[in-house]
Amino acid sequence: MENNNKATWISIASVCLVLGIMLAIQFKTTQSYQQSLLPSRINELSQRLNAVTEERDALAEEVLELREKLKNVRDQDKAMADLQEELRKVSMAACMLPLEGPGIIVTLDDSKRLLQPGENPNDLLIHDTDLLMVVNELKASGAEAISINGERITAMTEIRCAGTMILVNWNKISPPFEIRAIGNPDMLESGLMIRGGVVEMLKVWGVQVNVQKVNKVTIPAYNGKLKFEYSTPVEYKEKAE
Amino acid sequence: MWLLAVFCLLLGIIIGFQMPLLPAIYAKYMSIAVLAALDSVFGGIRAYMEDTFDNLIFISGFIVNALLAAGLAYLGDKLGVELYLAAVVVFGVRLFQNLGIIRRYLLKKY
Repeated sequence: MENNNKATWISIASVCLVLGIMLAIQFKTTQSYQQSLLPSRINELSQRLNAVTEERDALAEEVLELREKLKNVRDQDKAMADLQEELRKVSMAACMLPLEGPGIIVTLDDSKRLLQPGENPNDLLIHDTDLLMVVNELKASGAEAISINGERITAMTEIRCAGTMILVNWNKISPPFEIRAIGNPDMLESGLMIRGGVVEMLKVWGVQVNVQKVNKVTIPAYNGKLKFEYSTPVEYKEKAE
Repeated sequence: MWLLAVFCLLLGIIIGFQMPLLPAIYAKYMSIAVLAALDSVFGGIRAYMEDTFDNLIFISGFIVNALLAAGLAYLGDKLGVELYLAAVVVFGVRLFQNLGIIRRYLLKKY
């Protein structure tokens, strides 16, 4: 015991040093995670509260609106006006009216990059899938109306490859493509420009992408024919008032 | 001489507070390792009071216990068994035992 007294104290000192380091790190880590856990939970809860409050307000408004309509239906004169209003809304939803509003204009053109030996020339062209992805992203970002080169994107619009052209509403379109969308310009832009998003991916291939926010963009109506050959509406029983 | 140990502990704590934070996933294993280390230190103090202190056993126990405890907790996580609870119980019990024995020695001494 006596002969290795010095070694003993050195080992005790070093062990205490290491223990101190471990204790301090653990203490700090535990404290920081407990602190950081709380605000994130608060954020989440307050966001949910906001969303629910918004929903409740919207529902309350709807109740008022419906009551108003009910009153109008009883009041014959105003019934017509309501029908007109409804028709206008439905036409907007069915893309039968040209619309205007704030939004963005996205222009896409084939890559100007020279083809390297061994590369597939298809890699540098814009495909139907590229347009589909841009349109899908715009829809996800809250676009209310979209057109490509003057062709309105309706619920039944196809975007597909047809040889060297792309078919939209059975009309052939070719580059440069101009996609217009009405919606919150900031939301639409950030939806497209998000890291790892559509624009970044297209730029990797060298596709020329230009996203421009505009205060007023005009989107034409769908000018094709509406035909319902196979479908008929299902009669729905109206609920009692 | 005890002053040296306390001084080193304080120095370690100061150094530890300057070090970067541990990622959250490792915090659990670190806590087990800390517990094992604490147990080793109290075991060492107890052995010192019983005059059975062995430098090699002390150092090796400190390192191996800490690594083994963290390793077992990790293994338990991989196997879906809460093995770290076992480590917490074992080290906790031993910690209190050692503390009790140390207390009795101190009472006897003074």
